[in-house]
Amino acid sequence: MFNRDQKEFNIKEAETIIGPSVKVKGNFHGQGNIIIEGQVEGSIKTDKYLLVGEKAEITASIEVGEAKIAGIVTGNISVKGYLEIAATAKINGDINAHEVSIEKGGVVNGKLTTGNEKSRKPAEEIK
Amino acid sequence: MYIYIYDSFVNQKKYDKTLARVETRITDLGLNGKIVRIGVMTSVHDVIDSEIRKGASTIVAVGNNSIFSQSLNSIVKHSLVNANRNLSLGFIPIDNANNEIASLLGIGLEEDACNILSARRIKTLDLGQANNNYFLTTAKIETDGTKVEIDENYFIEIAEPGEIVVVNLPTNEVPISAEVSNAEDNKLELLVKSKSAKKIIPRKKSAELNQSYFSFKSLNIINQKKFLVLDNCLNVETPAKVNIAKEKINLIVGKSRGF
Repeated sequence: MFNRDQKEFNIKEAETIIGPSVKVKGNFHGQGNIIIEGQVEGSIKTDKYLLVGEKAEITASIEVGEAKIAGIVTGNISVKGYLEIAATAKINGDINAHEVSIEKGGVVNGKLTTGNEKSRKPAEEIK
Repeated sequence: MYIYIYDSFVNQKKYDKTLARVETRITDLGLNGKIVRIGVMTSVHDVIDSEIRKGASTIVAVGNNSIFSQSLNSIVKHSLVNANRNLSLGFIPIDNANNEIASLLGIGLEEDACNILSARRIKTLDLGQANNNYFLTTAKIETDGTKVEIDENYFIEIAEPGEIVVVNLPTNEVPISAEVSNAEDNKLELLVKSKSAKKIIPRKKSAELNQSYFSFKSLNIINQKKFLVLDNCLNVETPAKVNIAKEKINLIVGKSRGF
């Protein structure tokens, strides 16, 4: 469960909320914000925001626009924008993100690549 | 032309006075029409189909959720076959029991409903579809033994006992805000309610994240023991494919409707 002092996130804007009693298996591809407090096995994709709660357990490849991770993730993570790794997070897999912050206590076992050129907006051509 | 479809339970003697008052009010308002009393052996679908073919344009269900749901299904199925989009459904709820849909539509009981019928405030609303049946509010099934496949991409498994609810028009039992779910957004929502949980997520920003909520295009529900219950009254066997219906319904609603 997220603390209230953590990053403001409007639940009303969430397209999907996976609660603690639910396990999702398969290719979970959304177009809006996703909140995960339960379990996911397979793959997760969205162009928007992904919020992984402290009690969440994910065994999946993740491709999202932005993310905050506070739970356990086993799998590679690709984030186009900003990835926030909380103190309670345990990530086993490679991370590729444009920007990353890791709170003290957060665990990452894998290769961390930031400032990916592909995720940046293309520079304007000089005429 | 109005056709009044009386549910079989209103034939009980205890409703005679109520029906007399309703019929007087209908006459006073100039809404006279044909009354069809449904018996145990009468098919609501056949009656409504026949009356529409004879020229009826407004069907009024008189009774509770059950006759409302049957009338709605009959109208939509007739519209589907005959491409008739000018049909409306009115509702005169009799007795408080099993009449949640009426209060949701802002329709008062008995004589009050006649006034709403007279005002003829029509809303065109989305419908959910489960196999060949339609629903206005929710489709529910217990989580025990239920498998759900969403958009043919992923499955969900539910660890705790509770209820799976597909929502088109939220009822009081499923208190989701209209911003999240309503019958005019051309989509359905899936909620997984655990029995221990008291709140549904998207109602308040600070609500506890103890429920699950999915948007979807279509889902398959399988449960070999339990039925999927549409609008709290119509049991549908599974496997059931649930999606938003292409067809819509023109409903006569009250000012105090909950949407």
